[in-house]
Amino acid sequence: MTINLNGIGIDYGAILPELIVTGTAIVVLFLDLIIPARRRGWLAAVSIAGLLAALVASIPLWGQSRAAFGDTVVADSLAAFFNVLLIVISILTVLISPRFLRALDLDYGEYYILVLGATAGMMLLAAATSLMTIFLGIELLSISLYVLSGFARTALRSQESAMKYLLLGGFATGFLLYGMALIYGATGSTTLRGIAAFTTASGLGASSNVLLLLGIGFLSVGLAFKASAAPFHMWTPDVYEGAPTLVTTFMSVATKSAAFAAIGRVFIATFPSIASRWYFPLALIAIFSLFIGNLVAITQDNLKRMLAYSGIAHAGYILLGILPGTAEGFSATLFYIAAYAVMNFGAFAVVTALGAGGDRTADLSYWRGLFYRRPFLATVMTIFMLSLAGIPPTVGFFAKLFVFRALVDAQIWAPLIVAVIMTIVSFYYYLRVIVVMLAAPDEAAVEKERVGISTGTVIGAAAAATIILGIFPAVVLNWATHAASVHF
Amino acid sequence: MSWYALPANVPWLTLAVVIPLSGALLVALTPAVARRVIKQLGVLASVITLALVLVIIGGFQQGVGNLHLQFEELRQWVPAVGISYHLGVDGLSLFLLGLNALLFLIAVLVTSSAAPRLKQFILLLLILEAATAGILLSLDLILFYVFWEAMLVPLYFLIGVWGEGQRVYAAFKFLIYTVFGSFAMLVAILAVAAITFAQTGQLSFDWTVLVQHPASGVWHLPLNLGEIGIPQLLFLGFALAFAIKMPLFPLHTWLPAAYTASPIPVVIVFAGLVSKLGAYGFLRFNLSLFPDAAHSLGPALAVLATTGILYGAFMALVQTDLKRLVAYASMSHLGFIGLGIFAGNLLGIEGALVQMVNHGVIIAALFLIVGMIERRSGTRDRAQLRGLGASAPAFAALFLVISLAALGLPGLNGFTGEFLIMLGAWTAFVPMAVGAGIGVILAAWYVLRFYQGSFQEAPPQPAGFGEMRVADAGVLAPLLALMIVIGVSPAFFPAAVEATVKALPVLLR
Repeated sequence: MTINLNGIGIDYGAILPELIVTGTAIVVLFLDLIIPARRRGWLAAVSIAGLLAALVASIPLWGQSRAAFGDTVVADSLAAFFNVLLIVISILTVLISPRFLRALDLDYGEYYILVLGATAGMMLLAAATSLMTIFLGIELLSISLYVLSGFARTALRSQESAMKYLLLGGFATGFLLYGMALIYGATGSTTLRGIAAFTTASGLGASSNVLLLLGIGFLSVGLAFKASAAPFHMWTPDVYEGAPTLVTTFMSVATKSAAFAAIGRVFIATFPSIASRWYFPLALIAIFSLFIGNLVAITQDNLKRMLAYSGIAHAGYILLGILPGTAEGFSATLFYIAAYAVMNFGAFAVVTALGAGGDRTADLSYWRGLFYRRPFLATVMTIFMLSLAGIPPTVGFFAKLFVFRALVDAQIWAPLIVAVIMTIVSFYYYLRVIVVMLAAPDEAAVEKERVGISTGTVIGAAAAATIILGIFPAVVLNWATHAASVHF
Repeated sequence: MSWYALPANVPWLTLAVVIPLSGALLVALTPAVARRVIKQLGVLASVITLALVLVIIGGFQQGVGNLHLQFEELRQWVPAVGISYHLGVDGLSLFLLGLNALLFLIAVLVTSSAAPRLKQFILLLLILEAATAGILLSLDLILFYVFWEAMLVPLYFLIGVWGEGQRVYAAFKFLIYTVFGSFAMLVAILAVAAITFAQTGQLSFDWTVLVQHPASGVWHLPLNLGEIGIPQLLFLGFALAFAIKMPLFPLHTWLPAAYTASPIPVVIVFAGLVSKLGAYGFLRFNLSLFPDAAHSLGPALAVLATTGILYGAFMALVQTDLKRLVAYASMSHLGFIGLGIFAGNLLGIEGALVQMVNHGVIIAALFLIVGMIERRSGTRDRAQLRGLGASAPAFAALFLVISLAALGLPGLNGFTGEFLIMLGAWTAFVPMAVGAGIGVILAAWYVLRFYQGSFQEAPPQPAGFGEMRVADAGVLAPLLALMIVIGVSPAFFPAAVEATVKALPVLLR
C-alpha cells in the first residue's frame, strides 16, 4: 500500500523551530560522545546556539496562520508567542546550568539533551491543533521531565520525585488518552478544527452528548495535571522539592506555560459553543487551585514546597482568565503566563543559586538574615516575592490586574471574590520570606562564595524584567492580545 | 497667587518624580565607602526637588484649568485597558507637594553620614520621595495605586533594617495592614472603572473622567439580607486603604510600633507626610468620586475621627517614652484632620487642608526635637530628663515655640487649622466639636508636661546636656519659619486652595 503524502500539507517551515530544537538535541547527543568531560561547557554553548536559531525561526511565524500536516499543527501568532517564551526559559535554564551541575556532580551531557527534548515537546504542544499532536507534545515533554526529575541519581529524594512523577504522570496520561478516545468517538475527528466543526454543527445536541462531555472531562484532568491545578496537583510539591532545583526552575514555569497553551486551544478554540458546560468545572478547578495553593503555602517551611503551592495558586489565576471565554480574558491569561514565567523562574533561580550552600538551603530557616549575608540574592528575591504577591511596580501586579479586569467585565463575581481574598492571604507567605531574610542572623556571616557571572546576569535580568514589565506592560500585553486574537 | 507663568512645554510634574529617582540612581552607582559623596548626592537631589516644587507652587494659578488642575501631563500607558499616565496638581495636592520636598530634604540632612548602610538608606529615602510625590500627582487611579504600593516597599525596609527595638515585627505589621487596605482599594478601583464603563462606554481609570460620572445604584445582597448602595460600598473600599494609612481609630494598632521603631529621619517623613497621604486620598477620591456616600457615611467616620483624637491624646498622656508620646500626639492630631474632612463642609475641608501642612511641620519638628534630646542625653525616658533648659537655653526656647504651635496657640500655625476644623465640625455635628475641644485641652496638657518636665524643673539631669548647634537649628529653621508665617497670616493657605475646595463634588451636593 502506498500512502500519498502530497495532499496533507507537508510544510516543514511551519514547524521549523521545533525541528531546530530537536536537531540541536541530536547534535548535542553526538557531541557528548566526542567532547572530553571537562569541556562539557561546549554542550551548553551548542544548546544555546540551537535555541537562539529556533528563536529567530519562530519570529516569522508571527502573524501567520499556517495549518500543516493534515491540520495537526499550526504556525500562528499564538504558537510563536509560546515558542519565544519557552525558548527564552530554556536558554536561561541552560545558562545557569553548568555551574550548578558541576557543583552537584551531575555534569552529564544528557541533561542538555533532555532539556532540549522537553522544550521541543512543549513547543509542539503549543502549536498542536490535533489530539494526536497534543498527546505527542505532552509525552515528549513528560518523558524528558521524568528523567530530569531523577537526574540526581544518587539522591534518594530525587529518585523518589522521579518515581512519583512518572507513576502519577502515567496515570494522568491514561486519563488524557481515554478522553481523547471518547472525543474521537463522539465527533469522528481528531483535529481540533474537525471537533469544533462537529460541536458547532450539532448545536445544542453537543452540550448533551455524554460521550463528548466525558471526553472533555478526562482530557481536562490530563491537562490540569500538567498545569498542576488542584485537585490534580498532588505530585507538585513532592516533585518540586525532590528534583534538583535547577530542574524545578525549568519545569515549574515551562511545563505550566505549555499546558496552558493546550488548555487555551482546547477550551477557547475548540469548544466555545458548549462553554456553558465547561465553565462550571473549570471555575471549580480554578477556585480549588486558589484555595489549596494559597492556604497550604502558608504552612510550608521549605521554600521549594512553598513555591510549588504558590505555583498551584497561580495556575488558578491563569485559569480565571480562560473562564470568560473572551479575547480580553485570553490575552490576560497569556500575559499572566509570561509574567509568571519571569518571576517564578527568578525565584527558583535564587533558590538554585543558594543550593550550593548545602542540603537544607531551601529551608526557610536557612534564609534568616540573608539580606546581611547575600544582599544581591536577597534583594532580587524580594522583587520576585513582591511580584508573585502582585504588588506594583512589578509585572505580577499587572498580570493580576488584567485577569481581574477581564472577570469584572464579564461579570464573573464568585471566582473573582475568591481570587481577591486569596491574593490577600498570599501576601502573608510571600512577605514572610522577605521578613525572614530581614531578621537578624543567628550567627555571624559564614559564606562568601559568589553567584557566578552567568547566574548573576540571568537572575538580575529576570529581576529587571519583573520591574520593567511592571512599569511598561503595554508591549507584552499587545503581543498577548495579538496572540490571543488568532482564536477570536 | 501666581507670580509668574511657567512655560507649558516642560513636564514639571514628571520632573518632581524623576529628580529624586535620578538621585537614587546616582547614589546606587556610587561606591558605598564614599559616604560623604553619598550624603551630598542625597542632599543635592532633595534640594533640587524642593527648588523645583517651589517653582511649581509659585507658578500655580488659582481657578485655572480643567477641574482646576494645572501642569497636566497626559500620555497613554496601557491603552488596551484604559490606563494612562496622567499627572496634575490642584489645590488639594499643591502644598502637600511642597511639604513632601521639604520633609525629605530635612530627613536626608539629619541622616548621620556615619549611619550603617548609608548608601542603601539614602537610596531608599529618595525612592520613597519619588513614590510619595507620584501619589500626590497621579490622576489615573491605577497610576495612583502603583505609586501607593511602591511607597510601601522602601518604607518597609527603612523600618525593618534601620529601625530599633522590634523593627522587623513593626515593619511586618505595618506592611500587612497596608496591603490589606490597598487591595480593598484596588477592587474598588476596578469596580469604579467597570461601572463607569457600563454607563458611558468609555474605558478609563482617569480621575478627571470618573469624577464627572459618579457611580450610583444599589446592590441587593443575596439571601434577602437587604441592600447596600454601590457608591457606599466603593467608598468603603477606598476608605479602608486610606483609614489604615492615616490611621483612623480603630485601625491604628500598627502605628505605635511602627513610629517607635523608625529611625528619626524615617519617622519625620512617615508621620509628617505619609500619614497625610491617607487624608489626601479621602479628599481626592472618597469625597470627589462618591459625594453622596461621603454625606451618608461621613458622620460615622467623624465619630471614629473624634474617638481617635481623644484616644491618641489620652495615650500620649500616659507615655513615658517621648517618641511614643509624639507618635500618639500625631495620631490625635490626625483625628482633627479626619474630623474636618468628614464634616463635609467648606470650613472643615479647608481647615483639614491647612492642618495637613501644619501637622507635617509640627510633628516633624517634634520628632526632630526628640531625636536631638536622645542624641544628647542617651535616653528618651521622660522620667530621666529634668531641667535641661538651664544648660541649653536656646534649645529650650526653640522647643517652646514648637510646643506652643503643637498645642494650638493663636499666632502660630496649629491654631489656624484646628480652629477652622472646629468651626466646620460645629456646623456639622456639635458633639464631635466638643470632643475635639477636649482633645485640644489634653494636647496642652501632654505637650506642656513634656516641655516643663524635661526643661524646667531643676536640677538639670542628665548633666552636660548640649546646647542647640547651628546645624540643628538650621534644620529646624524652615519649620519654625513656617509655623510663624502660617500663624500670622492664617488666610493665606485657605485662600490659595479655595477654588479647588469649592469645586469639590462633596460640597456641591
